[in-house]
Formats: sequence, C-alpha cells, structure tokens
Amino acid sequence: MEGWLTRIATNTCLNMVRSAKRRPELTVSDLTEDENKWLDEQLSDVASEPARSVEQTLIASDLADRVLGVLPPEDQLALLMMDGEDATVKEVAEATGWSESNVKVRAFRARKKLREAMEKLLSHKKKVEVR
Amino acid sequence: MKDECIIEILDSGSLVSFSEEQLVVIRAHTQSCVGCADAYSAVVISSAVIKERVQTTIEPSPFFQTRVLAALREQQAAENVPVLSRLWKSAGVLVSSMAVTTAALAALSFMVPSPVAPVAEQTATAYSAESVLLDQANEEQMSYEQVLSTIYADENEAK
Repeated sequence: MEGWLTRIATNTCLNMVRSAKRRPELTVSDLTEDENKWLDEQLSDVASEPARSVEQTLIASDLADRVLGVLPPEDQLALLMMDGEDATVKEVAEATGWSESNVKVRAFRARKKLREAMEKLLSHKKKVEVR
Repeated sequence: MKDECIIEILDSGSLVSFSEEQLVVIRAHTQSCVGCADAYSAVVISSAVIKERVQTTIEPSPFFQTRVLAALREQQAAENVPVLSRLWKSAGVLVSSMAVTTAALAALSFMVPSPVAPVAEQTATAYSAESVLLDQANEEQMSYEQVLSTIYADENEAK
C-alpha cells in the first residue's frame, strides 16, 4: 500500500513538473546578483565545506531550481533521490516504477548533463568577469 | 590518468559516495589538468546545489493533495473494471473499424453483381470457334440452285 501510494504521488509530482516550462540552457544572465555571489563563494571554497546562513540557503535553493531546470523532470527526480537523499537504486526503482537499469542510466545521464551545464555556466561566468 | 577517465568517475556517482583514495587521486589529477579541474569544480558545485535543494522543505500546493487523490481514485476505478472492458476501451476503435471494413468488403463481393461475367457469356454465345475461323457467322446458307447458278452462268448448262 505504501509503495503504491508513493508511486502515485511520485507520478503526480512528475506530471506537475512536466507541465512547468523547462529551460534548455542556463546562462549567467539568468542568475541574480545573490546567486552569482553564492556561486563565487562556492568556487573560492571548493575543497572545504562553506558556512551557510538561512539567507544563503534560500539563495542556493533558488539557484538549485534554476540549475536543475535544465534537466528533464525524470532525471531531476533520479538525481535528487540518489545524490541528495542517498536513496539506493532499488528504492528509486520502487518509488518510480522504473527498472533498476533505467534508474542507473538516468542518474548517470543526469549527472553528466548537470556537470556539463554547470561547466558551461562557470566558463561563461569567467568570461563575463574578465570583460 | 586520462581526462575522460576522471570525468567518467565523476559522472559515475555522487561526490559523497567516492572513497578518500578516489578523491585524493581526483584532486591530484586536477592539479595538472585544467579541463578536469573545471569538471571537478562543476561537480562540487552541482553537489552543493543538490544538497541545498534537498534540505529545502517545499510546501506542496493546495491542489497537490487533490491531484494525488484523483490519481488514486482513477487507478482504483481502472482496477475495478473487468479486463475485457479495459481491452475494449483501448482497442475498441480499431476492432470496430476493422469489422466495418470487413463487412463492407463482404457486401461488395457478394451483393453487387460482377460486370465481367455477362460479357463473357454473350461472347461465348455469339461466336463459335468455327464461325470466327471461317467468318461465316452472319452468312445465310445458300440453296443448291443458287450455288449452281453461280457456278454455271447458263441456266440450261446447270441443269
């Protein structure tokens, strides 16, 4: 019953996210000043864990929405569950109704897409700052 | 280590799932490779973004519960409907169209008379093989006297 209900809720969420317009690409001009600052802080402190305030958390959350917006809803779900909530492949498969190999493939592709989008954003940011 | 290799490792799992040894190797490689250093920075920030996203509690919209309950009712209703009925619902249009087409073809085959058959019959009765070959179809049979008069011009000679 729990798994069944989880799957229905998951699919409802996916449908809601699907109906929202997806941004195919993220550029520096899409970011607010605060989000840019947050990114700078993260970049300057890549090796260590940066301190977080409530305000920063909110900024980061907004930025997360924008960054994750480049991914399809299914990929977002797989990535957030596996990398964010540390769910196993089996747990994601049970919640979504996808096969385990499908979950693995989605998570791999999502990480790749997110990394590429972030690399693009950072290099664009560097270019803008040089100018 | 090849650049592709480091990037493949970075894409294979979350940053938290990497062992200390793997992280040491990755960090050492990023010191000498600019491309991999950029990829690593992107992965670290992506990981931070995902963490922040997960920590934020989102209040569901007031319609969310309604939607979930609607989906639940829909699924329950679908499960209560018999299998044949569900099959008919999905394939009904196709089956109906196929049945109509078959009926139409059957009607055309059996009810409408074929225009080719009477022509063949007529042809068969009008011409026999002999008449076609000798071209005597419409010729009237000549009487014995007519033949004689044709051969012999003089009437007395014919007699």
